[in-house]
Amino acid sequence: MITLFKQATVIDPAQQKNRVVEDILIRDGRIVAALADDETIDQVIDCTGMIVMAGAIDMHSHIGGGKVNIARMLLPEYQAMRRLQEPEAHLCGPNCSHPATPNTTDTGMRYIEMGYTAAFEPAVLAVNARQAHLEMGDTPMIDKGGYAMMGNDDYLLRLISQQADQKTINDYVAWTLHATQTIGIKVVNPGGISAFKFNQRRQDLDQQHSHYHITPRKILQVLSRAVHEIGIPKPLHVHCNNLGVAGNFQTTLDTMGASDGLPMHLTHIQFHSYGLEGDKKFSSAAAQIAEAINRYPHITADVGQILFGQTVTASGDSMMQHLNAKVANPKKSVIMDIECDAGCGVVPFKYRDQNYVNALQWAIGLEIFLSVNDPWRVFLTTDHPNGAPFTSYPHLIRLLMDKTFRNEAFDRLNLDAQAMSNLKALDREYSLYEIAIMTRAAPAKLIGLQDRGHLKPGAAADITVYREQADKEAMFAKPEMVFKDGALVVKAGRVIKVVWGATHTVKPAFDLGIERDLKHYFDRYHTMQMHNFKISDDQIAEDGRNHVLNHSKEA
Amino acid sequence: MTSIPIALNHACPACGLLCDDIDPQQLTQLDQVCKKAATFYTREIPASVASIRGTPATLSEAIKAAAGLLKHAVAPVIGGASTDVHGARALIDLANATQASVTHLNAESTLRNMRVLQQRGWQTTTLTEVRNRADVIVMIGTDVVTYNPRFFERVVWVNEAMFTSAHARQIVYLGGQALDTRPGCSPDGRAPQVIACADADLPAVVAALRALVLGRPLSATTVGGIQVSVLQSLAETLQSATYACLVWVAKAFPHAHAELIIENITETVVALNQKSRAMGLSLGGSDGDTSVNYAHTWRQGVIIDAPHWSKHDALVWVNSFSPHAELPVVAGPTIVLGAADSVFTNPPDVFIPVATPGLDGHGQQFRVDGSVTLPLTAAKSSAHPSLSSVVQQLLAALAEGDAT
Repeated sequence: MITLFKQATVIDPAQQKNRVVEDILIRDGRIVAALADDETIDQVIDCTGMIVMAGAIDMHSHIGGGKVNIARMLLPEYQAMRRLQEPEAHLCGPNCSHPATPNTTDTGMRYIEMGYTAAFEPAVLAVNARQAHLEMGDTPMIDKGGYAMMGNDDYLLRLISQQADQKTINDYVAWTLHATQTIGIKVVNPGGISAFKFNQRRQDLDQQHSHYHITPRKILQVLSRAVHEIGIPKPLHVHCNNLGVAGNFQTTLDTMGASDGLPMHLTHIQFHSYGLEGDKKFSSAAAQIAEAINRYPHITADVGQILFGQTVTASGDSMMQHLNAKVANPKKSVIMDIECDAGCGVVPFKYRDQNYVNALQWAIGLEIFLSVNDPWRVFLTTDHPNGAPFTSYPHLIRLLMDKTFRNEAFDRLNLDAQAMSNLKALDREYSLYEIAIMTRAAPAKLIGLQDRGHLKPGAAADITVYREQADKEAMFAKPEMVFKDGALVVKAGRVIKVVWGATHTVKPAFDLGIERDLKHYFDRYHTMQMHNFKISDDQIAEDGRNHVLNHSKEA
Repeated sequence: MTSIPIALNHACPACGLLCDDIDPQQLTQLDQVCKKAATFYTREIPASVASIRGTPATLSEAIKAAAGLLKHAVAPVIGGASTDVHGARALIDLANATQASVTHLNAESTLRNMRVLQQRGWQTTTLTEVRNRADVIVMIGTDVVTYNPRFFERVVWVNEAMFTSAHARQIVYLGGQALDTRPGCSPDGRAPQVIACADADLPAVVAALRALVLGRPLSATTVGGIQVSVLQSLAETLQSATYACLVWVAKAFPHAHAELIIENITETVVALNQKSRAMGLSLGGSDGDTSVNYAHTWRQGVIIDAPHWSKHDALVWVNSFSPHAELPVVAGPTIVLGAADSVFTNPPDVFIPVATPGLDGHGQQFRVDGSVTLPLTAAKSSAHPSLSSVVQQLLAALAEGDAT
């Protein structure tokens, strides 16, 4: 099958192409430079006047796994609520679930309708990876992948406290990537989830864990080095200590120095950019955070923008979510300790523009977006569903691209919050090219998806075709066409063909000798056997809807 | 990844614990290990065939008959749903194709827990945390072992725990009838504390415990025949524990509105966690109840339904782990996609034998604590198809009917 995209206006930052009008050829789901002499074109897509980009990639979105499903179970009222005028209601059909707690079908459908062709679950508990993959396997239309959570698992904390050599840790990290079928490593509140199980209520970066007598800084050093040395592209994904706490920006700045210059990605950094200024002792530290990101080339960040409305926060950070449970809305929450491996906290939340803290959170996120100079190092996320459902991305894109629209929204905020933000002084408007960097080229490069996020020959034909509109929210909400692996799957904002996507993984080489000690550990302390912890390619592919893509070179 | 070769043991789906140490060579000698596992692994798998109203039929005839019945149904229900995750996925596909409601053999106990979750949320833990941390374990209204025979062996009296002295744990039974408390004795013979009360009094006793943990004054001196001082001392034990675990089994409560007892347990945990550490643990479970409810939730966005049999005009019944379960009566035909060793008082309209995950088929199953999913491996061979493959054929037959 050969398809020609004719007269496309290409925006492809990986090739520095900004509105280059050209043809694109696709053969059997891949972009090709040219056809052989005897080949003929089966299908011509007239793209005259259309903006063509690679499919968008969400590098941080809670789309599957235990806490996501707990959120669905916890909040049946959201399904009744979905008929109300949510900001995203225009995206929803009559049968769709609430965008904060979408079922797996809706997750895939809503993403592809917006031109997203991949999403990465950033908090796969290693012990819960099988569930995460079952849910992602039931998510149609898009590619999936996950980052395995480490840094609160007792096996690693024991290794570090026993001063195990770095090679042992590297082997364990690589083993975990294999066992959990993931593509990156995340650490959530390093040491803090474990510390909460020992009745610690806060864990600062340089504070010793009460049982293991190691610091989060040490955990970050060891893990960032392991990720670097096993040679996977995705830098350590870090959810800092002190999530959501007023004054936490200092922890965030200090965390940037914890990896000794090795790459780290600080996630949902908006939730970690709070100062202590003002009458309410809660202020924006976006300027300091953005300035530090600009200064440190080894740091990348995604924002975790909040948008107003009803959502739910689902986090691995049981320690901080236990505190946040006091402000749950509706008033209920789930906190779990899980398998000497991790934890979770699910707390429903309603962000209101007349609430001082919420209004300032909104402004802080936008201040960071507009103050980080390099769009290759700041990523467009709402930490779905924690800051807002991913279905609000088109709205967020308009806030970034349209200063008038942004300032009008700002004028509606709580007045005390307005007085504490310099947002209106920030004149920047993102260009389409910069949006393409943030949502395509940069996430593919960060995660190591060599054949995604761009339109070079050899790339998978995940392609989004937009009709350019002055209203950028309308433009990004409903692309004209979306192609997944070369197949036309969305036309005029509606899914016309169901496909299932694949699961992206890395499988770095490691010394299998680590399994001797791991097996001993499982036999001594666990309630399952080591071999059952590991997920095979066949198990991912079971029921025929999914398969594993390995981005590592064969070891 | 290539791996150190090991003789793989089976994970046993006979209860919610999914003990994954079942030696394939010892399947007929499990009596001393676990009665539930022994019963499960000694199930005979007859070479039974499909039937229509008790008369043997080919698989394709039975599929066609089932599709015909379902096409005429206005409000079908999928019941029993005793299967694994893959079976659950298939049943949800079937539900979406036929507008059927999905319920489960254990819907009553599952929904008791879900009502608490949806009303208040909760704070819970998992088996490995309990194994390594819990220094006080209180079982409320249950001995656990009636439902999960190997709980003490696998989780409590283990050789080694990372953060506590396993053999020094304090075991308390609060309420419950005809309990087998012998497994609560420590390996060195220390007896558990048994605080008995009548079932009718358990709600008040648990409410009193919660009040005492919250530091609220009680004017009574006894509750349900128990001295308040005994409950006060239990409250203090919980408050001073390093990691207290409050265990319940939703099925074990004979009470109407047992969710109110469960909520008092989970809210006691929430109160304890203001200052010390404690967690709830819901045990019991299986027939794949957690798997089916979870898969239903992620596929449909909502939990399974409560059964209202008389409101349905067709039943699809799946009984893989409970071949003897009584068929409910609906206002219409019954189709059983069931275990080969199913037993019926009256034969269903259509019967199609399917493999049982973990017995004569593979699968994946959720453990009762919800965070862990384990692969199920076939312990025996049989020619019976998987539930998924039968449902796929049924869906194809339904679609064919639509086309004509």
